Amino acid sequence: EWTAEPVSTGTTIMAVEFDGGVVIGADSRTTTGSYVANRVTDKLTPVHDRIFCCRSGSAADTQAVADAVAYQLAFHSVELEEPPRVRTAARLFQQSCYRYREELSAGIIVAGWDPRRGGQVYVVPMGGLLLRQPFAVGGSGSSYIYGFLDATFQPGMTRSQCQEFVARALALAMVRDGSSGGVIRLAAITEDGVERTVLAGSDLP
Amino acid sequence: PMVTGTSVLGLRFSGGVMLAADTVGSYGSLARFRGISRLLKVNDSTVLGASGDLADFQHLRQLLEQMVIDEELLGDGHSYSPRALHSWLTRLLYNRRSKINPLWNSVLIAGVDGGDSFLGYVDMLGVAYEAPSLATGFGAYLAQPLLRAELERERLPTREEARELLERCLRVLYYRDARSFNRYEVAVVTEKGVELEGPQTLEANWDIAHLV
Repeated sequence: EWTAEPVSTGTTIMAVEFDGGVVIGADSRTTTGSYVANRVTDKLTPVHDRIFCCRSGSAADTQAVADAVAYQLAFHSVELEEPPRVRTAARLFQQSCYRYREELSAGIIVAGWDPRRGGQVYVVPMGGLLLRQPFAVGGSGSSYIYGFLDATFQPGMTRSQCQEFVARALALAMVRDGSSGGVIRLAAITEDGVERTVLAGSDLP
Repeated sequence: PMVTGTSVLGLRFSGGVMLAADTVGSYGSLARFRGISRLLKVNDSTVLGASGDLADFQHLRQLLEQMVIDEELLGDGHSYSPRALHSWLTRLLYNRRSKINPLWNSVLIAGVDGGDSFLGYVDMLGVAYEAPSLATGFGAYLAQPLLRAELERERLPTREEARELLERCLRVLYYRDARSFNRYEVAVVTEKGVELEGPQTLEANWDIAHLV
């Protein structure tokens, strides 16, 4: 029963690029089997000032890897004397996730803004593959919204269109997926910084 | 294996050799990543096409790219021949399997060395062979017979004939392989070098549906 189950960020996570930055979003449910261990989880984890990761899979595994990458990035940016590239952060995630692929259960989306390439979204699914995409989804809830995403996504959306797109997609997934739920946490990352919002209860699309 | 690629096809023709593969990365039965390239240009005389785990393919790509860079730095005018790469890959994959930690891939190596064309296969067990036509995965069952039938004729196919044949095989695979996709790429290697064509979309014919 639930004490024997690992703690999992069941999850729906998502990230979309727009011209000037990225919008990322996640649900807030952490489960141990079918018990909701945390209903207000924050799955949007900063690894640097303008680089975040969205975590799905095992809560422990993703927190451990994210902490390690945050440390490596901090060190690296001191050496570089400039903010690290999103691609670098994604590559660091990939290196851990690929090397320890047999031991880890981690599906991660890395998204952020850097001066070189602007807003970028990279996905590191289980297995440790690294891919850049205009938008990415992950977690158990993502299965239920592929149809919606294929039908609705347009390249070249504005920031607010992206926010609406992410919120609607996550809301749909959270309804259907038992391992996703709670509130929608959104963040918009641009040159000017990170703006976080929470959509709860009646605010949900 | 997590995110996987399906069949890769290879065929010799009268000016060289070509490979074809679709552009999807499947996550189990989900066609999760629809814009992935599974064909890799190794150097000006060789291409490699991979099926199986795509994270392992990316790892292989890094190894190969580093090898090619190191070789360029040597600056002795030599570059790895397709046959040499095939041999190296065989050793790599066999040794990994012998440590019970395989790179979960089946790859085709295609290239032109001097005047001779080369087409070889290596898989996660270290099994390796060469032939004028090859295919991995489902392709081995559905496409190979079609490819071999063409090669049984007196002469090797022309480039256009080979291209059409590969497309026909990919169409059959799209009909019958549940993990395939209708977007694909082709890599052609000749004396002149490597050309990567694509991604292109396959047209499917569903006329027979009306007969049922």
